[in-house]
Amino acid sequence: MGEPKDKIGLKEYTAIALFLIGIKATDDVPAMLFDSLKNAGWMGPIISGLIAILPLFLLLDIAKKYQSKNSIDIFYHLLGKYVGFFVLFLLWVAGFLYIVLDTATYSDIVATMYFPRTPAFVLYAILVGVSAYGAKRGLEHIGSVSWAVFPYLQATLLFAIILTIRHGNSGFLFPIFGPGEWEVIKESTMSVSIYIDFLYLFLLFPYVKSVKDFKKGTWIAFFIALFNLAISMVSFVMIFDYNTAMSLNYPYHEAIRSITIGFLTNLETFFFPFWLIATDIKFAIYFYINIFLFGKLFKIEHFEYIIPAFATLILFLGLIPESPTFSVFHMRHFFGQILSPVFFFLPILLWVLANVKGEMRK
Amino acid sequence: MRKIPIIAKILGSLLCVTILSGCWDQKETEELAYVTVVGLDKDEENENMVKVTYVIANPEVGSLAEGGGGGGEPPLETISFSASDFITSRSLANTVISKEITYDVLRNIMVSEDFARDKDFIRWMYDITKEMEIRRDINLFVTKEDPSAFVQNNQPKMDTGPHKYYELIFNRGQDTGTIPPSEVGQFFRITEADADLFLGIYGTTEKSDNYKRDRDPDQFMAGELNYEGQTNTTQFAGSAVFKEGKMIDTLTIEETRLSYLLSTTMKQPEALLVALPDPFHEEYEVATKIYREKDIQINVNLKRDKPSIHATVPIKMSILTNHGMTNLAKYRDNREKLKKAFEETLNKEFEEFIKKTQEEYGSEPFGWSLAARKKFRTIPEFEEFDWMKTYPEMDVSIDTQIDLENFGRQTDLPKMKEVRD
Repeated sequence: MGEPKDKIGLKEYTAIALFLIGIKATDDVPAMLFDSLKNAGWMGPIISGLIAILPLFLLLDIAKKYQSKNSIDIFYHLLGKYVGFFVLFLLWVAGFLYIVLDTATYSDIVATMYFPRTPAFVLYAILVGVSAYGAKRGLEHIGSVSWAVFPYLQATLLFAIILTIRHGNSGFLFPIFGPGEWEVIKESTMSVSIYIDFLYLFLLFPYVKSVKDFKKGTWIAFFIALFNLAISMVSFVMIFDYNTAMSLNYPYHEAIRSITIGFLTNLETFFFPFWLIATDIKFAIYFYINIFLFGKLFKIEHFEYIIPAFATLILFLGLIPESPTFSVFHMRHFFGQILSPVFFFLPILLWVLANVKGEMRK
Repeated sequence: MRKIPIIAKILGSLLCVTILSGCWDQKETEELAYVTVVGLDKDEENENMVKVTYVIANPEVGSLAEGGGGGGEPPLETISFSASDFITSRSLANTVISKEITYDVLRNIMVSEDFARDKDFIRWMYDITKEMEIRRDINLFVTKEDPSAFVQNNQPKMDTGPHKYYELIFNRGQDTGTIPPSEVGQFFRITEADADLFLGIYGTTEKSDNYKRDRDPDQFMAGELNYEGQTNTTQFAGSAVFKEGKMIDTLTIEETRLSYLLSTTMKQPEALLVALPDPFHEEYEVATKIYREKDIQINVNLKRDKPSIHATVPIKMSILTNHGMTNLAKYRDNREKLKKAFEETLNKEFEEFIKKTQEEYGSEPFGWSLAARKKFRTIPEFEEFDWMKTYPEMDVSIDTQIDLENFGRQTDLPKMKEVRD
């Protein structure tokens, strides 16, 4: 399929963006935040979100300025041929590692919480296989599937959260500042990389119908994702209290195991399939963006043909870490802290350069 | 678009069949033994072992699958043996039980009092958080005797299916406030927070010699109700008190009910039926139905030299009996007097119980540390404050506010003097 022929609309783009970020509430991102922020973990997404507004705003401004240009060309244009290539290459490497670690986490969730007897390799292969197939179908397909299933997934997530809050106790949210105000601000700043997916989505802006839609979609997705993250973390604290929440690996999956509606007890069997669909879509998007970037970097026109090779590589790399629950968790944590400044400063750099160059042209 | 050959489509759907059936985790419900209760007890000979008891429900009993013939199978099967933990015991059990042991429908964990009082008890409890099949909202109950004896003596005449029996008796007990809500998840939470006490359900099948220790009919716990008749020997009443993951004492029904009324975290019972002394006639008692409609209000004051707690307990009350035959309908003063007297009685009972928790336990089962947490900005400050250390020293005052609701179907009673005239 190569480059997308049709452009995706506002709805599709917003759904895609939400899948990338909103679903983080259900993996080990909350565990990461609880680890350092204790019961103030829910402030993490809010504070880092406030910080993320600046780079986001600048990115959108750049997109507006260079509407007619391709996103990849913007990098070359602003940073020069060599530096531009280098930065894009690093972004690609980061994205690639991110997929490896993320897929490892998600297949670990399935393996430890739902299918303990199935070999990790099989679960991993199915996850990667389905996502690679989704990526192969191209951006338009991913977009329409995202939009088609998004309302159901959002509704089930909210439903799970409401049930969790109903079982919970708001007293657990206190002392309100957890480990201390400074600690909260510091740690939240370090985890601004939760929103780094917007940097990758920026690469897709030429394939959204209009820059106006891109802008609107980004802000809508940003605020809904922020809300999802914050409210689900509030619900986790409310049901478990911080000591338990800190020691859980995957709070969402523990929460849906702890809630009941009247006589209905094993509710996780209801929420799990929805979560699986969301996971597959999320990785289909990741795969697509990453391979798209790779194709652009090395000027491969029909980049969809490298998808199988990529998928296999990711699969084997992801299987390397021993006891993924810990090792991948730490790698992701470490990786997130490295990426946070990248996400914050790269858009600033691009924007400053864009303005300097713009003035020079005048 | 390129046409996909039909053979590829068939192969693709066949592949889906293998994946959708659940891979290696596929299970046949017919081939599983459903454990509904796990019992844990100390192994007398080896301290690194536990005695595991399983109550395995027969899913066919009570269902339509049983058919019209009545079915000869018993509703449950029990087995007790020693194992290093209750995870590895699953495969050990299969030397006797023909089906694979599953914890999918496990709803209750039962531990002997002896084991619960052991300092190593908590090590085995945390196995629950590791096992994928066990949920956090299962019930924890403590039995006075060995669980293996308990399950053998426990022979409900009706509701013979074990899952149904435990669910019904626990729900009923929690509705009447005789036993506390006792979820394993809460046990972990309270133990980890290291501030409050956890209350577990207390039960036994052995009758105690210690029938009704004093005049008050609510001052007893499991095994102390003296009854006759053809029914089960099992009693669930009162609570087991856990401090820092170790059982330290038991509470009577009355103390359990007081805990309910003072608690900020427990789900309130439907209504408590309590007999209180009649202020007009010393020799009689007035049966009342009380419940707490609103949340208890707790004011923690840490500013003063000696930290203090002031709690306001809003109670709705209905009068069920009036053996003194006092005219309450006609005279407002009488009602006020009744209200005042009951408020005082309850205040006194609350305060006595709180004093007991301060002096004997050094903490409380009411979840009050949560109210104190609100007074702090950060967790390190709260940990510095150390609730368990401060609570015994605190000044606690209770203010019960009774709202009299109704006085029964017929409010007026004949005057005793006229009847006997």
